Amino acid sequence: MDAPFPSGLPFPTAAYLVLYLVTLWVHIAFMNYVLAGSATLAAGLVVGGRAAKEHPICALLRDWMPFMLSAAITAGIAPLLFLQVLYKEQFYTANLLLFFRWMAILPALILGFYLGYLLKKEPAPGRGRGGRIALGIAVFACFAFVGWSWVENHLLSVQPEECWKEHYVSGAHLYASPELLPRLLLWFVAGFPTMALMVGWQLWDRGRRGKGDPADGARAGSAIGLAGVVVSALWAWRYFYLLSDAAQKIVSGPAGRLYLLLSIAGGAIELVAFAALLRRGRWSPGWLALGSAGLVANFVGTGVMNETIRLVTLDGTVGLPLLFARHAASWKVAGFPVFLFFLALNVGLMAFCVRRVRRLPN
Amino acid sequence: MNPPYYPVSDFGPMMKGMVIGGLGIVHVFLAMFAIGGGLLMCYFQWLAQTGRSPNARRFVDGYFKALVLISFVVGAVTGVAMWFVSIQVSPRTIGMMVEEFHWVWGIEWTFFSLEITAGYCFYRCSARLPDRDRLLLLGIYSAASWFSLFWINGILTWQLTPGDWSRTREVWSGFFNPGFLPSLLFRTVTAMTVASLAACVVINTMADLDRAARKALINKAAHFLFPMAAMPFLSAWYFGTMPEDSRRMVFGGSIVMTLFMGLATGASLLIGLYAGFALLLKRLYINGATATLLVALSFAATAGGEFVREGVRKPYTVREALYSTSVAPEEVTRLRAEGCVARDPYPLRDAANYPNDQVRLGAKVFRFHCNVCHTMDGANALRHLAGDWTPVQRRMNIAQLQRTKTFMPPFSGTPEELEALVRLIEWATAGRPREWPVSTDREDWPEGRRRIRAWLDEAGVAPGFLKPGERR
Ligand code: HEC
Ligand code: HEM
Repeated sequence: MDAPFPSGLPFPTAAYLVLYLVTLWVHIAFMNYVLAGSATLAAGLVVGGRAAKEHPICALLRDWMPFMLSAAITAGIAPLLFLQVLYKEQFYTANLLLFFRWMAILPALILGFYLGYLLKKEPAPGRGRGGRIALGIAVFACFAFVGWSWVENHLLSVQPEECWKEHYVSGAHLYASPELLPRLLLWFVAGFPTMALMVGWQLWDRGRRGKGDPADGARAGSAIGLAGVVVSALWAWRYFYLLSDAAQKIVSGPAGRLYLLLSIAGGAIELVAFAALLRRGRWSPGWLALGSAGLVANFVGTGVMNETIRLVTLDGTVGLPLLFARHAASWKVAGFPVFLFFLALNVGLMAFCVRRVRRLPN
Repeated sequence: MNPPYYPVSDFGPMMKGMVIGGLGIVHVFLAMFAIGGGLLMCYFQWLAQTGRSPNARRFVDGYFKALVLISFVVGAVTGVAMWFVSIQVSPRTIGMMVEEFHWVWGIEWTFFSLEITAGYCFYRCSARLPDRDRLLLLGIYSAASWFSLFWINGILTWQLTPGDWSRTREVWSGFFNPGFLPSLLFRTVTAMTVASLAACVVINTMADLDRAARKALINKAAHFLFPMAAMPFLSAWYFGTMPEDSRRMVFGGSIVMTLFMGLATGASLLIGLYAGFALLLKRLYINGATATLLVALSFAATAGGEFVREGVRKPYTVREALYSTSVAPEEVTRLRAEGCVARDPYPLRDAANYPNDQVRLGAKVFRFHCNVCHTMDGANALRHLAGDWTPVQRRMNIAQLQRTKTFMPPFSGTPEELEALVRLIEWATAGRPREWPVSTDREDWPEGRRRIRAWLDEAGVAPGFLKPGERR
């Protein structure tokens, strides 16, 4: 564990980690849109009133929220699968310990989805603003609850057996860790740049197709992105010092340094792109592409660091040789080429469907 | 190998099977609605664009809205919920399924993603799409959703009829197992039935059409009820592929299973009769209330079917590879020597409520060995089942558990553990007094121990549906 990923890892472990991370990034992109987007909507309702309601970003978010939620859920299933191949015992134990509190994410998702639809509808005449605000906050609260649950589950899953036992005997359904809130906040603020870029592409595309103006929401959107990058960088720095010694060492040592730098570089590129967009006051594909490249670099860097930290942590509990042996056993199961074949086929068909409807006249 | 130990949660008075069964029904029903719905919409789109039914296009749009609103998120979330509840009920089982079939599950996910994408493209743009593209998107949508069924069906049928996999441990021989095809066809017919009945409800809500127009649509939707005629044949085929003992459970061996099977059959028969007489022969109109009632009946049929499907796997969760207790058959002998909870790291949550260590041990044995299917006081409670037995009867019948009822696994613990479990049941039956004697301190315990050991040996470690000494 002292060479940068994936060197030093056995092939099956590295392969499952790559599959896990790639699919997780897709989930995170949609999840960021949902979480930061619902926060933006709620904030708009609270501070902006009517102006916020008609703001192009808010209108867009309201329109796309239900779809993005389905996408986040659907895209969450693949990493959920690979997570079980990689860290079955940890994930299951955390699930079992949190029990009802963990399973509460399911009704929260359903509730968030339907409330999101209500938000999309025009309010009945005569209905007060208070109701809309409550609705906006409720939608955000549902998704924030789901995010909190994933963070809590993650933190509990990497604990040693002693901690699991204590938690079990206590009968508590909540797992309180000093890392919990800071980690959740980091996920939350880091979602804004992603959301801003996705919204930027959507609004640019609208402008291009004559359905809007390429300046729509550009200043507000890039300001949100810019602020998101700055705040999450500062917060990540702070968060670093909450990590265990082993984790800090691995991140700043030879194994993690490359990815730490990649993550910082990605953030810096995003910063430049958002600043340029803010100055120009309109969405431009060149700057959006640059920002997206920065985002990808940042995702790769952060994602790999996160897994490296998990691996050193588990090395201190169950030990990596045991995990590696399990991954090697799973890898022996046939079917990988068939999976790749259908993945390629179905991604192709998905692209085909989208192209089919995009070439329609308005 | 030792079984992995997980913290066991308690669902209170509910049996774990009830929880997973209840959720499974909702999920399967929604999935059926989505799969059959896709096929039905393709049919209606085709009717519309070939001029066979003037209002069919309007129906497609209305039905699709219902599908997106209900199925896309609730269907997906209940699917994730199934996964989470499976983890709660038996982490080792779901772990084994993931282990064996993660690529198949991955493939299923690619189809599910395609289904959502094609569905949303249609949902957002159908009004502006030319006919050809509408049919194309609907075709992709419904093919993708049917293939999700195709893949998941292989995994679920493998649990009951793993076929050659038991010998080869090879994924594809497990996937294309004896139950695969009949189950796939049966579920396809069920999906078409559910979709057709739900269509009748949707058509009744289309208030701007006059009765004749609605009737014309309903008669078209009823075409999807024709395949029900194959149900008796398909279910006979499916039952034919089942292991003998599972089949016995359905046909009288377990009265609960038999009742659920009766519910499924009865409800299907009623729908079939209605379909046959009212819709196909007389071309009757079917109003909203009746349609809703028929949908409810199809829900009941699904419910019965799912309970039976979950139930008849007992005593296994994966036939001949894993017992419901998360013990693998080859581990039983070891656990009888070393104890089933000796390595369980999780202490009891309510240790202070028990009168002594023996009863505490009994509670751990119960948690490990009986808790998946029984409670102490709620549903299928041991206190009710064995509380009134004589002391000898309790010991013998639990030692020979797989022969007491063939759908229970062999007892997989030491005589001390068995005795502790029996004392737990006796203590609970006596009203949980504060003071309670420890039976293994008594002088006659060595004799008691010998007898328990003899009963265990007599019952053997084979499952109860095999005669003692008989081998597969
Ligand atoms: C695979 C699920 C399963 C497991 C595990 C299981 N049982 Fe059962 N058991 C059942 C079912 C189902 C019944 C039937 C209940 C009925 O007929 O109402 C039953 C019945 C019984 C009965 C009543 C038998 C009779 O003939 O009336 C007793 C006693 C019993 N179980 C004890 C136990 C004990 C003790 C354990 C744990 C060591 C255990 N069971 C584990 C499923 C299970
Ligand atoms: C609005 C809905 C959701 C939100 C806001 C959300 C948020 C999050 C967050 C914040 C994390 C990071 C946890 C951490 O590492 O600390 C995460 C991880 C994850 N999410 Fe989601 N999530 C949502 C829905 C889902 C759903 C429905 C699934 C499954 C189908 C899912 C699957 C995953 C997986 C597998 C991980 C990785 C967990 C780990 O590595 O320990 N998510 N999600």
